[in-house]
Amino acid sequence: MMRARMPTEAVLLVAAIAVPLTLFWDFSWESTIGVDAFFGPPHAANYAAVALAAAAALRIVALATQSGVGGVALGRVRAPLGAWIVLWGGLAFVTALLFDRWWQASYGLAAGIWHPPQIAKALAYFAVVAGAWLTLLAHQDTPSRARRAALAGGALLAMISVVTTAQSFANRQHSELFYLLACASYPLVLTAQSAAGRMRAPATLAALGYLAFVGSMVWLLPRFAATPQAGPVYNALDHLLPPPFPLLLVVPALALDGLLHGIPSRAGSTGGWASALECGCAFFALFAVTQWLFSAFLLSPVADDWFFAGGGRHWPFFLRIDPTARTAYWGFMSPDLGLVSGAVAVLVAIVAARAGLWLGALREVRA
Amino acid sequence: MRSALLLACACLCAVSSASAHVGSPNVFFEGRAGVHPLRVVIRPPQTFPGLAQADIRVSDGDVTAVAVQPAFLDAGAEAAPPPSAATRVAGDPQLWNATFWLLRRGSYGVEIRLESARGGGRVAVPLQAAALARPVMPPALGVTLVALGIVLCAFAVGLVAAAARDSGRGRRAGALMALVCGAAVYGGNYRWQQMDRDFANALSKPLPVTSVVRGDAAQNVLQLSPAHDAPASAAWDTLVTDHGKLMHLFLVREPDFDAFAHLHPVRRDPASFEGMLPPLPGGTYQLYAEVTHEDGSSETLVSRVNLPPPVGAALQAAATPGSSVLCLSPTTAAANGAAPTALDYDDSWHTGLSVPGARAPLMGGGHMELRTTDALVADRDTTLRFAAFGADGAPLALEPYMGMEGHLALRRSDGAVFTHLHPAGSISMAAAEMLAKRDGTVSPMPLARGPAPGEVAFPYAFPQPGQYRMWVQVRSGGRVLTGVFDVDVRARS
Repeated sequence: MMRARMPTEAVLLVAAIAVPLTLFWDFSWESTIGVDAFFGPPHAANYAAVALAAAAALRIVALATQSGVGGVALGRVRAPLGAWIVLWGGLAFVTALLFDRWWQASYGLAAGIWHPPQIAKALAYFAVVAGAWLTLLAHQDTPSRARRAALAGGALLAMISVVTTAQSFANRQHSELFYLLACASYPLVLTAQSAAGRMRAPATLAALGYLAFVGSMVWLLPRFAATPQAGPVYNALDHLLPPPFPLLLVVPALALDGLLHGIPSRAGSTGGWASALECGCAFFALFAVTQWLFSAFLLSPVADDWFFAGGGRHWPFFLRIDPTARTAYWGFMSPDLGLVSGAVAVLVAIVAARAGLWLGALREVRA
Repeated sequence: MRSALLLACACLCAVSSASAHVGSPNVFFEGRAGVHPLRVVIRPPQTFPGLAQADIRVSDGDVTAVAVQPAFLDAGAEAAPPPSAATRVAGDPQLWNATFWLLRRGSYGVEIRLESARGGGRVAVPLQAAALARPVMPPALGVTLVALGIVLCAFAVGLVAAAARDSGRGRRAGALMALVCGAAVYGGNYRWQQMDRDFANALSKPLPVTSVVRGDAAQNVLQLSPAHDAPASAAWDTLVTDHGKLMHLFLVREPDFDAFAHLHPVRRDPASFEGMLPPLPGGTYQLYAEVTHEDGSSETLVSRVNLPPPVGAALQAAATPGSSVLCLSPTTAAANGAAPTALDYDDSWHTGLSVPGARAPLMGGGHMELRTTDALVADRDTTLRFAAFGADGAPLALEPYMGMEGHLALRRSDGAVFTHLHPAGSISMAAAEMLAKRDGTVSPMPLARGPAPGEVAFPYAFPQPGQYRMWVQVRSGGRVLTGVFDVDVRARS
């Protein structure tokens, strides 16, 4: 049964990666062209990604039910917890899409951006990607399956970066909100990945996967010509806008792997606040130093190239931004990280790491 | 994740907005682009980003291409998106149709470009785009979403309970998940209600004003000032003249609308207008006032006001609506006086009950005819044609009335629609002239002459079915004459 499931798991991984990537494409499309229909190319690709994930999850449910062992049973139907979560996400996505279509036609965006169907859609996306990740984490009996699980973790990291894009521009990477959001989310995935991964550096591979996924959009999207079709056009564009360069999560991920996986005596020590304390502090320290310095590089003219897409040159067409603000840090929406907010961010990272360790130790995940 | 990321980066302020017309969002324009006469109807979207529709009727056969380019007024023409090419409508070679996106609500200048062997032409049409109504979810969709929501909650609770069953904590975990689902539904609903309230507060609607009548033995003066709860945009220090006036004020007497006045108060300071009242019959009046701001946005101000009877028995008798019709206006020039001591030369008022049919009596024995023979259907583009005749039955020689051959005010019986038209359409001429000056296009003046002697025509499409009253005003012999018509507009089948 395990062997029969492998191609399906590969499909599930592809779908999980495609979900955040199609959302980045959508971000780029709307930031460049500004006009998107319900079945516009990025939307259609996004729907296809969710449908593919749901279809793969259904297949896994069918195989698990056929085998009659393992997983979580709902009545006579049996499946890994992750596959159930993917299916729940698929149904939630259909519901949110119906709601969102009416909402967009009725309120547009005038009522606000994070409206109920938008939140419901975000929840559905997370369910699909996280469900795929949990499904793959639960089956790491071969090196290739362990790598797939790590790459699914990369997809989940990319999904987090999608919803936090607005707070993650290089111009905001000195703000306390950026660090609070990052510490509340990324350590959870990275520590769970590191704790549950059955390979040498699972969190590092997940972070590298994230870097490659988001980086590919930075490098690929600007290859396509596009111009704004709605006004006002404050920034003239002739190609699809690249998303912000990905975060260098690989630096703290290496440390987490070192703490949880690299030292033999600590391997498997996935519980306890002591580990969470170490992981949370390590994550914050390395992440803060890395991004603090790296964002300065991204805002400098040196980063104004196709690889980093920095230098304060790439902005959505509708954003009216002062020339001096393009390469400056923005302190107007959230103050810079200080001692108090830094301490809070460390605490948040510790709690997130503890949650990640708990998740990584779950029977359904370690099975 | 439609537009979440896109607009997470933008700062879109939810400001209250007002329209120049009540319940009539579409824009009508008749004029010229270069040498080519054209007629334009723009239907703005009700949500943003949204798709606007433009119908452009060009009678000249040598026009080879038509394009439409909307420019957000606040950003200028240089920030306009590429023009959208219009296509000929099948079966009607004179009619072109274009669609274009509007990213946000606000004031736009929509440039219409024609290409032809004679050099083509350009004209900029002002457009105000705004949401007008609170949405209501169709019951079938509501039921479907509730059913799906119940399934999702049951699925989540069952899954969590099943996953925790082996540890003996299935029930507790299931109950906890049920609480989470309940909290999510409650939180989602709370946020929806909150956003709906904000949306409703920002809808385009007429701005309330406070109206007070001050009277003494000689005259009554109407004073207008922003209502206490009016938004900041109601400030009157940025107004520009439209047809030479800062404000066009319309008064209609309730309940029969048997008295009508078109007045032009003067601004006393940034927070008040004053105007002398003509001898109108006493009673409660609906008040509509139109103003245009420097940024090209127009507003309709609304109020209700109780007018006392005019001073003096003779005036009282003259002002009493009866079988005779009074169409009055000052005949001596006192335009834009600094103090409200005299009526404006272009002020006009009318008393008299409406007469059923397509023929309205005018003061002095003349009459006005409604010459539109097509059935009036909601949302169907039409031309409202009128012809004025003297007592001898000959067409009247019409003179410009505030630069136009005529003015038409119309009101739906329930007050849901009130608009002010002229032969150039529904646009604010002040906004149009401002756009023309800024963009270097030709000011969209109406066609030089009416269709025939004594005739005046207005492009329009009634936005809703129902009973409408129309007051048509023309000037002849120095005096403003008002014809009153009642029409029934059918729903579109």
